[in-house]
Amino acid sequence: MIPPAPTPDHDRPRGAAGSAGERAGSGAGDAGAAGTLPVRTEALTKIYHDDGRGEVRAVDRVDLTCRRGEILGLLGANGAGKTTALRMLSTVLQPTGGRAWVMGHEVREEPERVRERLGFYSASTALYPKITPRETLRFFARVNRYPAERVEARVEELIDRFGIGDFADSRVEKLSSGMKQKVSIARTVAHDPPVLIFDEPTVALDVLNAIELRGIIGGLRDEGKAILFSTHIMSEAEQLCDRIAIIHQGKILATGTLDELREATGLHYLEEIFVHYAGVRDTDEATLEQMQPAEEAEGG
Amino acid sequence: MRFTAAVRAICALELRSLLRDPRTVLISIVLPVLLLPVLLVAINFVEDRRVEREETRIYRVAPAGTEGALAREVLDRVVERSATARSDGEGAAGGGGESRFRLMELEGSVEEAIEAERVDVVLEGLTSEEWEAWIAEDTARTRPDEFEGVRVLRVVYRANRTASREGAQALRAELFEVRDERRDAIVRGAGFPVPLERVAPLDTANVAPAEVVSGARLGRILTVLLLALVVLGGSIVATDTLAGEKERGTLNTLLTSAASRTEIVSGKLLAVMAVGLAIALVQVLNLWIYLGLGVIEAAEAYAIAVSPALALTLFVLYLPMVALTAGVLLLTSAYAGSYKEAQLYLTPVLLGLLVPTLVPILPDVSLESAIVLVPIANLSVAARDLMIGDVSFAWLAAAWLVTTLAALWVSRRTVHALEDEELVTGEAPSAAVVGGDALFRRRIVRWFVVFWAVKILIDFNLPFEDIRAVALVSVGIVFLAFPLLVVRRFGLDPVEAFALRRPRPGVWLGVAIGVPAGLIVAQSVFHLMNFVIPVPTELLESFGESLLPEDIPLWQLVVLLSVLPGITEELTFRGVLLHGLRRRFGPVALALVVGLIFGFFHFQIFRIPSTAAIGVMLTAVTLMTGSIFPAIVWHTLNNALAIWLGGIGFEPPGEFGLWAPLGAAGLALAFWIIWMNRTPYPDVGPPPGNTGWDPDPDQSERASRASVLKSTQME
Repeated sequence: MIPPAPTPDHDRPRGAAGSAGERAGSGAGDAGAAGTLPVRTEALTKIYHDDGRGEVRAVDRVDLTCRRGEILGLLGANGAGKTTALRMLSTVLQPTGGRAWVMGHEVREEPERVRERLGFYSASTALYPKITPRETLRFFARVNRYPAERVEARVEELIDRFGIGDFADSRVEKLSSGMKQKVSIARTVAHDPPVLIFDEPTVALDVLNAIELRGIIGGLRDEGKAILFSTHIMSEAEQLCDRIAIIHQGKILATGTLDELREATGLHYLEEIFVHYAGVRDTDEATLEQMQPAEEAEGG
Repeated sequence: MRFTAAVRAICALELRSLLRDPRTVLISIVLPVLLLPVLLVAINFVEDRRVEREETRIYRVAPAGTEGALAREVLDRVVERSATARSDGEGAAGGGGESRFRLMELEGSVEEAIEAERVDVVLEGLTSEEWEAWIAEDTARTRPDEFEGVRVLRVVYRANRTASREGAQALRAELFEVRDERRDAIVRGAGFPVPLERVAPLDTANVAPAEVVSGARLGRILTVLLLALVVLGGSIVATDTLAGEKERGTLNTLLTSAASRTEIVSGKLLAVMAVGLAIALVQVLNLWIYLGLGVIEAAEAYAIAVSPALALTLFVLYLPMVALTAGVLLLTSAYAGSYKEAQLYLTPVLLGLLVPTLVPILPDVSLESAIVLVPIANLSVAARDLMIGDVSFAWLAAAWLVTTLAALWVSRRTVHALEDEELVTGEAPSAAVVGGDALFRRRIVRWFVVFWAVKILIDFNLPFEDIRAVALVSVGIVFLAFPLLVVRRFGLDPVEAFALRRPRPGVWLGVAIGVPAGLIVAQSVFHLMNFVIPVPTELLESFGESLLPEDIPLWQLVVLLSVLPGITEELTFRGVLLHGLRRRFGPVALALVVGLIFGFFHFQIFRIPSTAAIGVMLTAVTLMTGSIFPAIVWHTLNNALAIWLGGIGFEPPGEFGLWAPLGAAGLALAFWIIWMNRTPYPDVGPPPGNTGWDPDPDQSERASRASVLKSTQME
């Protein structure tokens, strides 16, 4: 799907969007959204006004789609607009322009329905320190409107699946960072949402925890979740993502599978491809420095 | 508010987290519970000791002076009377017939002897000339007529020594008795037929039942006490819940959940209310257990029987007040970026909430007046009236409704605050990186809160009596240093920050008309407020005297109280404050907010509304002209006019109500002229891009962008 922008399916806001789209939309309570792409944005834009810098286009007319059972990687340097775009999708920020749908629900029109169908994980989404993992899962299942009579069964299922059992009744503040990470992921999927957003999830993790997390995310994809995964680490995007969207200065410059991107550019390594699209030359060292190799990033 | 599963879960989470923090529980519940009886026992102990000491202490008294013989004679009688009274067992401590006074011989001067603690009290016998000479030194006292040749006894003591002060008090009481004895003896000796106390006896009768008296006393302070407890309790949750969650990152987690903003605020509001109420109830119950059940004896004046029905009615009455308080605390927390910042705001918030609860203390404030429209103040008055048992249901219901509506409004504001991206993410136009003006606009409120607190400290601790020195420091130095410090700290352009721009010449005509008209309007605002909360005349007079002393030349007053504040206060309020807030509000709200903050910097509460009115006018002028100079001139002339009118003792002829429309008309004319000559203040109101909504992006622009993309993609 290269180039990405001129051929979006915006002419059919709720209609069929190709074979991949038809598989999506089987999330709980979304009968009306069947056949819709789980995630779709259309010229999504966020503009800040800043007296010092004038108009700042943090996200500039971004078109994205994410299908069921797919991990879409958002690859870009720090400040490229990844987090802002994902925050608009999770309704924490309001778009300045354009539209975005999650399971057929528009982010501005039905923010609560959007969040019901969404699990959001980032380094900045912390856990409540004074309650236990079991209470955490119960709390998030409830506030995310998981059917009350099934909450307890769901909590037990999550504890079992993520190996939380040994510390399910210790307070979160007493857990190690690896344990907290497991609880955080379980929290993200507590209400079994069809769409998951991972915003630079490995940024504060050590190598082993990062590998484990990537494994879990891969497993969730195999269950049929639509996953948006933002990163600035090239190897992570290469290993994990089914499709990669290169974002730079708020704009999506290209979208496609790694092979498609290779074919389009004639380049092999993702780093080269990124540099090619972003137009980054040796002179722009700041951007290159942020795009560190995976080992280095994980080591920090 | 609907009690959805999410609301219940959020409230339960807050309460559970609080109860699991042992330090919080210890400090907010256990410690006060334990400290209260300690405090009560300590008060009783001190009181018992005082009484015991009074009964057992022996005061050393000595006669002195030209008429020392008279003094000695009287003292002898005092000593004798006291000994007789104590042997008769009048005093509870008995004393076995020992007199409470011991007669001493004076060595050295009177003052020396008392200072060196050789004696406690000296009784000085004076001739009438000596006495006359002495009172002549004190201009405040006038000499009674026909005192020729009368001898006078003077009790000399030192008020800073307990034994001396209490001894003088005890001696005076005895001296009155001895005087009555001697008078009686003389009068009876001259043939008067009955004892003197039987001539025109006088008594008083209080027809108010005891419970009404104590109800009135308790009713006046009950709301203050309760609100303070609710704030102290509620703030434990409130500061932690939104500000603390922002800091810990849990707010992000919660905001990406399916709970609506209203549900989040409702759940948290319930938790703040519950904790505030619980802590208040625990303390009231604690007090009641110790005092009500007589574990510790209370001062008699506060021993009141509150019936269960009255307690329940009070509880229902106070609910909206608790909700409003919780809402204000939560809103404060939402606006704070961190736990620490929320705590910083707590003191001014507490003071702001306590002010309306003090209304029942003012004399003759009735619920059946405009006070019913002031949230919290209305319930404070209602509670007082309810405790006296004198209240009409309709007015009570109106007060309840007004405060409930205020609580709902504040809750809505908190919901909006959670929708405010800059507040929620705390990182919107990356002000910390940009620095300068962007950082300044985020920090300005914080700076003013601290400045307000510092200004109070300075104003109430100035070591000067002279109004000139006070004005020089409080107005001249403080209000000049602050804006300069802000400009320097944030590296602002002084021309922008202080709006140092030239207005159009026509503006000055508007200012000339606006000054007297504005003064009349401000005075009308004061009259209106006086109608709601009457300000005691004595307070106004003493304030007027302190501000306009007669012995200071007019020109000095004009310089120090007009020109100086005209410049420095304008640089502070219409300069940096307006500049810092300009992006947060539209022009109307901005004028109101800046005006109100200006009002709150005038610490005499009765001055706040009228100064706020002037502040709104000055802000409006600055917004219309984009220049600080008209405001400086207006402010200076306003103060000068007020001083001049005060100086000549001007009283407006006729009813003041007739002047208000005249003032309003003049002000309208002034602002019309200024509007016609406007050069508006730049960049007022929220930036357009953050609120603008563009659901259907321009197709042609998208097409052009696509072609640019194609060209860069090198297919």
